[in-house]
Amino acid sequence: MKVVKQENIKLDSSFAQEIAKLSGENVFLCYQCKKCASGCPSRMFMDSTPTELMRYAQLGMVDEAMKKNTIWYCVSCQTCSTRCPQDIDIAHVIDTMRIIGQQKKIKAENNKLPLFNWLWMTMIKYMGRAYEAGLVASLNFFSGKPTKDMALGMKMMKKGKLKLWPSFRKPFATMKMFSRAKKLKK
Amino acid sequence: MKLAYYPGCSLHSSSVEYDISTRKVCAALGIELVEVKDWICCGSSPAHQYDDLMSVALPAKNLAMVRQTDDLKQVCAPCASCYSRLKVTQQRLKDDNLKKDVEKVIDMEYPEDIEVLHMLDVVTEKAGIDNIKEKVVKNLSGLKVACYYGCLMTRPPKVTGKKQYENPTQMESLVEALGAEAVDWNMKTFCCGAAFALTKTDVVLELTKKILTDAEASDADAISVGCPLCHANLDGRQTQINSKFKTNFHTPIFYFTELMGLALGIEAKELGILKHITDAGKFLNERALV
Repeated sequence: MKVVKQENIKLDSSFAQEIAKLSGENVFLCYQCKKCASGCPSRMFMDSTPTELMRYAQLGMVDEAMKKNTIWYCVSCQTCSTRCPQDIDIAHVIDTMRIIGQQKKIKAENNKLPLFNWLWMTMIKYMGRAYEAGLVASLNFFSGKPTKDMALGMKMMKKGKLKLWPSFRKPFATMKMFSRAKKLKK
Repeated sequence: MKLAYYPGCSLHSSSVEYDISTRKVCAALGIELVEVKDWICCGSSPAHQYDDLMSVALPAKNLAMVRQTDDLKQVCAPCASCYSRLKVTQQRLKDDNLKKDVEKVIDMEYPEDIEVLHMLDVVTEKAGIDNIKEKVVKNLSGLKVACYYGCLMTRPPKVTGKKQYENPTQMESLVEALGAEAVDWNMKTFCCGAAFALTKTDVVLELTKKILTDAEASDADAISVGCPLCHANLDGRQTQINSKFKTNFHTPIFYFTELMGLALGIEAKELGILKHITDAGKFLNERALV
């Protein structure tokens, strides 16, 4: 029989506590029923299932949770949060992991979401509203694929579905909101 | 009936036809829409996964602005994402500490008594199906529609308060009141890939293909939606899906407000239907619906 030394068994709940502090969600409620994994439309793209993700969070396996693509393939469709028998808002837990990942600059492979988020939030900050044409163009430019969706974009423009110029809606009001939020967080 | 109207960023740009048809239909039903004064983006797809405080502060600011718009207490949002963010904010701001923080950020008093409605709630519950039935001048008979709700119009029920969240039937009863047939199908609340349209387009193509396939297998001629992002994915990505998966989809995707407009006797062109990427004009011509 293999003997495992007691001191080699380490459990670190600081990751779960960080999630709880930021989101109010308790990942230890998960008993691995796999309802979230079965209903997840994005499961086929993920390195691990949402159920496994909950286990990683319980066991403090931060690298498995944060460095794989799993959290970045959540489509925020709310199916898992709706069906969880333990009432864990799993989509909110994943959002929280993404926020932690972006703040600590933990990189995941081929992941444009942090750039997308930053661009859109910056637009809100300085313009008050989203500027779709600018978002598409800058996202494709910064991710090195400037011609992505060009044909679709041209069609949309022809049909009057893309505004070429942004509309500024009291930008100072939103800029002030962002700076007050920043101060508050400190 | 007078309601505050929160169109959201998409309705001013990529889904302008949803805005046009919503305004026309509401006018025909005697619902007065007053656009929320100086509304800003609700934070939609990025805020909730980037900045938790701003993800509730942005919608809270808009809810506060609703009160400053003719002192209205009801706001309707046609966009499922806007609707969801406004509802989530109301849910989360029941926490007094968070509410205090948010009020500091928006520098306004947060109003707790605003009723947030999706446009589908407005027409089916506030205007009423029977009322709409009476106003139908052009029966949409012969049209088989797959009613697609997507995610955020019904989920999570804790936020939306919807009782039928796995198998909603609101849009079906509306479509049937217009004279069309609502088909029975499996994908009505399946996700289309939503906000991954720009960042992970492959996911969108895969999921959208599943929805289009099931609609076709269920004998639907068209799909009816109530979300600009669902429309953009289902309507705009069909060419890309066809070339990637060697399929031959050309399913017209309508906003439910467009179908209502047609039944109420408004011209397709006036409703903005000709702005769709997947041609819907020819489809309507063939069925003598224009």
